[in-house]
Formats: sequence, structure tokens, C-alpha cells
Amino acid sequence: MSDPRQEFDVCVIGSGAAGGVMAKELCEGGAKVIMLEAGPKVDPSQFLSHKWPYELPYRGLRGEKQAPFHQVSTAIRYENSDQIGVSEVRVVGGRTLHWNAVALRYAARDFRQWSVDGIEEDWPLTYEELAPYYERIEQLIGVCGSDDHLEILPAGKHYLPPIPWRCSEHILHRAAVKMGIPVINVRKAILTVPYDNRPPCHYCGHCMDGCDVSAVFTTPDCLLPKAEITGNFTLRPNTIARELLVDREGLVRAVSVVDRLTKKEEEVKAKLFAVCCATTESARLLLNSQSPQYPSGLANSNGVVGRYLHGHLNDGMDAYLKDFAGVKPFNQDGATDHVYVPRYNHLAGKKDYAGGWGFQVNYASYMFPNQAWRIKGYGAAYKAYVRRVQPGYLMLGTFGKVVARPENRITTDPGHLDEYGTPVPVVHFRFGENDFALWRDSIRSLSEIGANLNAEVFLDFGQAPTGFASHEVGTVRMGKNPKTSVLNGFCQSRDVKNLFVTDGSCFTTSSEKNPTLTIMALSLRAADYIKQQRRRGEL
Amino acid sequence: MRRRKALKIVALAALAPKLDAWGTSACPPGEAWTPSDYQLRFFTAEENELVDQLTEMIIPADPHSPGAHAARVSLFADLMVASSNDAIQKQWRAGLKQMQEEATQSSLAQALAKSALHEGRPATDLERFFAVLKGMTIDGYYTSAIGIHQDLQYQGNTYLSAFPGCTLRVRSAQSGVPSPKSEVS
Repeated sequence: MSDPRQEFDVCVIGSGAAGGVMAKELCEGGAKVIMLEAGPKVDPSQFLSHKWPYELPYRGLRGEKQAPFHQVSTAIRYENSDQIGVSEVRVVGGRTLHWNAVALRYAARDFRQWSVDGIEEDWPLTYEELAPYYERIEQLIGVCGSDDHLEILPAGKHYLPPIPWRCSEHILHRAAVKMGIPVINVRKAILTVPYDNRPPCHYCGHCMDGCDVSAVFTTPDCLLPKAEITGNFTLRPNTIARELLVDREGLVRAVSVVDRLTKKEEEVKAKLFAVCCATTESARLLLNSQSPQYPSGLANSNGVVGRYLHGHLNDGMDAYLKDFAGVKPFNQDGATDHVYVPRYNHLAGKKDYAGGWGFQVNYASYMFPNQAWRIKGYGAAYKAYVRRVQPGYLMLGTFGKVVARPENRITTDPGHLDEYGTPVPVVHFRFGENDFALWRDSIRSLSEIGANLNAEVFLDFGQAPTGFASHEVGTVRMGKNPKTSVLNGFCQSRDVKNLFVTDGSCFTTSSEKNPTLTIMALSLRAADYIKQQRRRGEL
Repeated sequence: MRRRKALKIVALAALAPKLDAWGTSACPPGEAWTPSDYQLRFFTAEENELVDQLTEMIIPADPHSPGAHAARVSLFADLMVASSNDAIQKQWRAGLKQMQEEATQSSLAQALAKSALHEGRPATDLERFFAVLKGMTIDGYYTSAIGIHQDLQYQGNTYLSAFPGCTLRVRSAQSGVPSPKSEVS
């Protein structure tokens, strides 16, 4: 427990990918850092990764295997929203404890949406400016994969060996090549060889239920020990940040917190605050930090905080390759995805919508036969059929771009408080025209891929897109235009100079790529900037 | 919509059962939950008997492996329904009653066949109940030790020192599997 009178140099709120990078870097730079995390520490011995379904009361259904990450709920509410979900993981390490570890760089064009497609805005930084930080993060966390020389998916210089492909992935590759669609080694923060004192993957297939050996990058296994070793680091789990408090000059002086277990309230003081609570909670914290100087919430003089909520739209298909029907079952678990289908729709010329999609492949479990839900009938023939097609399982999951629009937003409701007395976040989200057009083209293309496989194909399309698969971004966006953004290109608030927000909420726009690697690179760049400014005495 | 649901699980924090409700080792390793002294929580003994018969008809024992009865799927269903909301519980109670009434007029096999007549586009309560009953049977059977190990002969959930890649000779790959390094762009 920290001394309540103590003032830290930096208070990092949130212990996920963004907070982990920020804390480690600033501790190594000599700053006294306190990290607040709303949830508890979860020891790997609590992971349910290797449990058989029949060892659990609900057989691993109802999200049961990820229950260790969801011990602390936030009373989030959805209003007038399409079928989407935002993630809330309150635990030391945040979502890094159960992410699928896909680690993709944004392409140069992904930072220039206005210049390339005439929609949204350009980011206040370029790929070239972020590239050195991508490189440092990749080397820090260990990423397997390869340089595939694709403009749409820039590569780093130092990848760990790629994961060998499954038979189904070779067959997908063969079909896709004929259609001009690339299939490449997936790039994931999963170790294929020993790295940074961590052992390699053991290919159990349960990456998203918690990796008990730290072969998957997580903040508590890979970054926090590096922060601790400096002697500058204090971690406070079970500490919920409710409101940022300002001084007469309008700078943040402290954060009002409540201990989750004792319900004791106190203030944590620091010279600088890095908010890394992720897209929903960061916006919530700023909106709930109202004062005479900032009546509509902190850093919100232009009313943009909470707006531009977006993420990924999702769909997919399950296919059962006929070549494998009746084959003796064999172990295909691996490390979930082994290949990736990067964006390809731009290769065929201009579309009547902006953006694209990629496919993640085979990240579902091989243990449960999903086809049992799709195949009609019952009885002995049904049972035999389910069994017969199971070895040929191949799945593709679509991750498509969603346009950032101001009307999609997080608000907070002062009339609805959670158990800690804090107004709850409310999600308002509708897909727009461009999202629908992109979605329709993605399902057309996915249907074509299915038709080119020698397989029984079950398409997974509803009447409208769904999202966000834990990839929501954008509610405290950076930007060039002070009227439509909250942060500058270094994740620093324009209104409050000792306030930084470096999680996914800082994204100006989103591409089809998974956001975490970019979150970490942006957080690292912000940390470098903070160190530089501190040296100059400007922070 | 099964996989859509799977994607959503990532965001289903509120639905995840609390660890402290069960503890992390609810049963000894390797032993099936639904313990031998399991007490029914929702079904009456008669309803449980009916569910047992119906689920066994949906996934029966065959020369390859035991079926839903041996996997005690009705007890899994009881736990799941008992922990579901009122609407779901009412649907089960009414569905089983209707199934029993149909069976009295003909036979249980004919009642089940009637309920399955328009699978995928059900129009009656009985047909809608079939979808629920079949889904529960699938979930219960293929998450049981019998379903996983004996029927599907699943080989994973283990520790490997290296992933072997594709070692099978499959028909369409016989003329040469493309190298992972070949690409189009």
C-alpha cells in the first residue's frame, strides 16, 4: 500500500498493453511510477486453459473458461445500438491476459484515410514516424512471422520463426492464390523459440484462456517485471479510478480512487497522468471528471470525448474440407491462428466504399464440433456425419474496417451509478453506410472463397454486420484538427498538458488490422515524448 | 450464428459465472462434473426421464461410441435450465409437456420426428422446442468425456514440444503442398 501523502512522478491508470509499456518505459527513464488497476492479480494457476469442459460446471460454455478475467464487472449499458460488444476486463494485465496475440502493423495508408479515400481524417502522425516504435515493441514482446513484402502489411526486421501450417491452411492457400488472395504466416506475439527468458508455445490451442507458461505476451509476465526491477514502480491492484481532480491552473493533481475490496476512498497524487483504461473506461473516466474549470468533463472543451467510437465488424464461415472426411482424428490445436489473410480488396482497383477486411484463420477450438449445430437431423446417421467431417474443419473470421463517426459514442449516466458510486458508461453505436457496403462486399468475397474450396461450407452471415470483437477504439482520439480531436500526435491532451491517453481510445481512425501492436507503439512513442519533455523541464 | 456468439464471448463479461461461485477446482482433474450424487434442480424425475430418452434419440449409442444417455446429458440440461431465466424455463416445461402429450397419442419417436419436421424454419412451439432440445444435446454430449474422447477421439489439449505442421497426405495435396513462403500480392 502506498503512502497517501506521497506524490509520484507519474500515475498510470490501467495495466493493459498501453499502461504496461508506459510504466516500464518511464520507470526505466527514472520516473517514480504508480500503476492503478481496478481488478485483481490473476495467478496463472487460476487459469482454466487446460481444463476439460467436463471438469467445469457449465462445460466451458457461457464464457466460463475466461471467468478469471471477468471477476470485476462494470455496469455497462447499451442504448440504441446495433449488435456489438465492448470488452471490459478488469485484471492486472487487462486484455493482454486473454488476447489472441495477433500483432500487425498499420500500413502507411491506414494513417491517411482522408488523403487516400476522402473520408474521415488523416492521423497526426505517419507510418514512417511510428515505424521505429513498432520495431522496438516487436523486439520487446517477441513476434513470430515473416516479412511478406506487402505494402498493405509492413513488416519488421526481426521476427521469430513462423508457426508451421496445418493441412487445412495449405489447402486454403492453394484456393486463395488462384483468386489473387494472399495467405501469409500470421504475425503473433507468441514465442516459437525461447525468448526474453520465456519458454516457447506448447501448442495447446487455448491462447485466449490464459497462457500458463507466458509464451503469449502479457503485461504482467513481460513488462511489469522490467518496471519492478528499476525500484521505481508501485502497483496497486483492486484500485478503481473514479475521477481525475484538477488544481487551480487546470492541471491534473490527483486521481480519486476507491479500494475495490475495502471500499476505502483516497487520492493518489502525481505530476503527470497516463490514462490507459481502454476505449470505454478512459472516456468514462474523463467524462466523469467534471469540475468548474471543466464542466463537461476533463479534456473535453470541444465535446469530442466519448465520440467516434468504432472498432471492427465481424463475420465468417466454417468449412469442412472433403479431403479430410473420415480421416483418423489428429491434433490440430496449434497456437490458434497460424496464417493470416491480409487485406486484398484494394488490389482489384477502387471500390465504392472505403477500407477493407482481413481474415483470421482457425482461431476457434478444434475440441467442440461446431458443425453439430449446423447439420440438420438427428439420430445415428447425424452423429456419424458430425464425427466424419470434424477433421476437415477450417474457419475464417472477417475483421473489417468501421468508419469513425461522431454520433457513435460513449456517454455516462449520472442517474445510474455502479457499486462504487460512479456513473456507468453507456454505449451508443450504429453501423453506417460505408460499413454496410464493405460488409456486403466482404461476405460476397468470403462466399467465393468458400465456393473455391472442396468443402461443405457454412456461412455465418446475418442481416447486418456485428462487431467489435474486443477491438473498439476511438473515443479520445488524436488528430490534426483541434475541433474534432482531443489529443495531439503524442497522445497528450490539448486542454490539460499533464494528461496523456495512450490506449486504443486515442486512435483517429481504424483499419482492418488488430489494434494492439499499434496501441503499444503509440504508448511507447508517448513515453519517449514524456521523457524528453521531462528532461527539458516542460512537464 | 454459433460462431458469432463465440466472437461475442470476448465481450460477455457480465454473463461469465463468477469464479467464487464454483471455485477453480470444482471437481478433481479428469473426473466429469455432474457428480454421481447430483440432485435435480429443475426437472422433475419424470421430466428428467423424458429428457434422457429424447437426448439419447438425438445422439444415440452406436457401435462407435456411447450416446447422450451414457454421457448423462439430461443432468447437464437440468443444470443449464435451472440457471437460465424464466422464459427459458417455461419453454422447457411446456415443451416437455407437449412432447409427452404427442407421445401419448403416437410414440415418442413420432413425437420427436414431428417436432423436427421443419428444422431451421420452425413454425410451432413444438418445432421451436426441438431446436432448443437438440442444441442442449449437442452442447452436453460434445463437452462430455464420452463425446470428446470416445466419439470424436479428439487428440489435442496437450503439451507439444513442436507443432508438426501438415504431416497428412491428403488427396488434393498429393501433387505438392504449396510452400508457406509462396505468396501473391
